[in-house]
Amino acid sequence: MTALARSATAHLWTGMLMVAVLLVWVALPWFLSRSAIDILVFTGIYTIAGLGVSFLLGQCGIVSLAQSGFYGIGAYATAYGTTVLGLPIPVCIVLGMLVSAVIAAAVGVPVLRLSGHFLALATLALAIIAHVLFLELEWITGGTLGIGGIPRISLFGFTFATPFRFYYLVWPSAFALLLAYSLLLRSRTGIALRAMRDAPAAAAVAGIPIASLKVRIFVLSAAVGAFAGSLFAHYVSFISVDSFAIDRAIGFLLIAVLGGVRSIPGTIAGALFVTAAPNYLSRLGDIHPLLFALALIVAVIFLPGGFGGFMANLGAKLSSGGRRPSAPAGG
Amino acid sequence: MSALLEVREVSHRFGGLHVLKGVSFTVEAGSVTGLIGPNGAGKSTLFNIISGFLTPSVGRIVLLGEDATRLGIQHRSRMGLQRTFQTPQVFRDLTVRENLVAGCHRHGRTGVLEAFLGLPQVRREMRDAAIVADAAIERFDLGPYRDVPAGELPAGRQRMVELARAVVAEPKLLCLDEPSSGLSTAEVQILMQVLRRLNEEGMTILLVSHDMELMEITSKMHALCFGEIIASGSLDAMRASPRVREAYLGT
Repeated sequence: MTALARSATAHLWTGMLMVAVLLVWVALPWFLSRSAIDILVFTGIYTIAGLGVSFLLGQCGIVSLAQSGFYGIGAYATAYGTTVLGLPIPVCIVLGMLVSAVIAAAVGVPVLRLSGHFLALATLALAIIAHVLFLELEWITGGTLGIGGIPRISLFGFTFATPFRFYYLVWPSAFALLLAYSLLLRSRTGIALRAMRDAPAAAAVAGIPIASLKVRIFVLSAAVGAFAGSLFAHYVSFISVDSFAIDRAIGFLLIAVLGGVRSIPGTIAGALFVTAAPNYLSRLGDIHPLLFALALIVAVIFLPGGFGGFMANLGAKLSSGGRRPSAPAGG
Repeated sequence: MSALLEVREVSHRFGGLHVLKGVSFTVEAGSVTGLIGPNGAGKSTLFNIISGFLTPSVGRIVLLGEDATRLGIQHRSRMGLQRTFQTPQVFRDLTVRENLVAGCHRHGRTGVLEAFLGLPQVRREMRDAAIVADAAIERFDLGPYRDVPAGELPAGRQRMVELARAVVAEPKLLCLDEPSSGLSTAEVQILMQVLRRLNEEGMTILLVSHDMELMEITSKMHALCFGEIIASGSLDAMRASPRVREAYLGT
C-alpha cells in the first residue's frame, strides 16, 4: 500500500470515527438518567476549566493551582452582574473573563518568574487568597450565604434549564475550546511554546519572548477558567464560597494530570474521572475518599501519560503499524 | 568595511576572578572573524557577553552601531544576532522541521489570540515558515530527518539543525561557539563549505573555536589568552606569532 493510500485510509477512518462520536454525543442524554446527565454536564464544565490548566502545564511547564480563583471570579461576576446589576448574561460572562484576564496579567508578571515548586506554591497561595476574598467580600459574593436566583441562559427563546438541555450548551462550548487550543498548539506560537519548554536559552536566541508568552497563556487560561465558572453559576443557579475552595483547585490540576498534560482531548477523560469517580464511589459509603485516592494512584502508575497519552499511543500503534507518531508542523 | 560588532574594553569578573581584562576587537561586516584561545581563556564568557547572556562588569558591546551592552537576548535576536551553543541546544521534542519553524519566529507577527481564534493570517505565516524550513532542510542535507524529533538525531546532525535554525532567522551576524566539536572530519569539511557559502551570500560570521583547521575560512583572527587579546591577524600571521605559539600551541 502506498503512503498516499494509507493516509487516505487513515483519514477515512478518522472521519468515520468523528461521525460516530458525534452521533453518540447527540444521542447520549436520551438514554441516561437525570443524575448521569448532570455528571456529564459537570464533566463539560470541568473540561473547559481543566483545559487551561492542562495546556499551561503540558506546553509551558507551568503548574497552576490558581484556576479555582479564576473559576470563582467568573461565577461571581455573572452572579453579581445578573442578580444585582441586572446586566444581560453575555455581558456578565465577558465581564468575568475580562476581570480574570486583568488579574491574571497583574499577578502573572511577578509570579511566572518563578518555576517548579515555588511556582506551584505561589499559585496555591493565589487560590487561597481568592478563596478568602470570596468569603470576606460579602457585599459582592454574599459570603457563606452565597448568591441565589442566578438566571438560566436562554438562546432564541430556548432556556437551558435542565441538565438535559444544558448538556447541549456546555459541550459545544467545550468542543469549540478544545478546537481552539488545538489550533493554538499547531500554530507557530504553539511551536514556540514547546520550543521554550525544551530549551529556553535557544528559544530566547530565536527571538521567542518567553516571559511575555507565559503571561499571555496564563491570561488565556484564566479567561477560559472564568468562562467555565460562569457556565457553572448559570447551571446551578446558586453559588457559595464552598465551590471555590482549594479542593476545586486540586481537582482542576488532577484533571490535567489524569487527562495527560500533552494531550488536549485527554482533558475530557480527566474531567470525567474527577467528576464521576467520587460520585459513584460515594455510594459505597464513608470509605469513598480513600477509594478515590486509590483509583487516582492506580491511574497515575499505569497511565503515566494520562488517558490522553495512552489513547495516543494506542492510536499510533493501530494506525501506523509501528511508525512513530509525529505532530504536523504546518501546511 | 564597517564594523557590525564592536567589543570595547570589555572586562568581566566572577567574584575575585578576572576572566576578561579590557578586551577590544571588531567584527567587520561581511567578514568571517575567528576567536581562538586555549581552555579557560575566557572565550565562552566573551561569547555570552556578546550574545546577551551576560552583562560585562566593565565595557561596551556595540551592535550595528547601537549600544547593546544591556539589551536582552531576544532584543539582540530581533536586531539580527544569532548564536549557537557549545553543546547543541535543539528543541528535543520538536521535529527537525518544527525546530526550523521555531527558528523563523522573529519573522512572524501573530500571537496567542490570533492562533486561538484560528485566524487565516496564522495559517499563512505557518505556511511561509514551512517553506523556509523545507528549503533549509534541503540545503543542510537534513531531508531524511525532517519529521524526526531533533533529540533523537546523532550529535553531528543536531549541530546542523542548530546551525540551520540560526540561519533561517536570517541573521546579520552569526556567532558560532565551537561548531566543529563532536563532528567527524568529513562533517567538519561539510560545515566549512556551508559556512563559506553563507559568507559569500553576505552573512557575517564570528567563529569561536580552538580548532585551527576550521580557522582556514576566517579572514581575520584574534587570539585570547588569560582574558586578554594577545594577537590579531590572518591565520598565517597567527601561526607565525611566537606569543600565540607559546600560549596556544604550547611550544
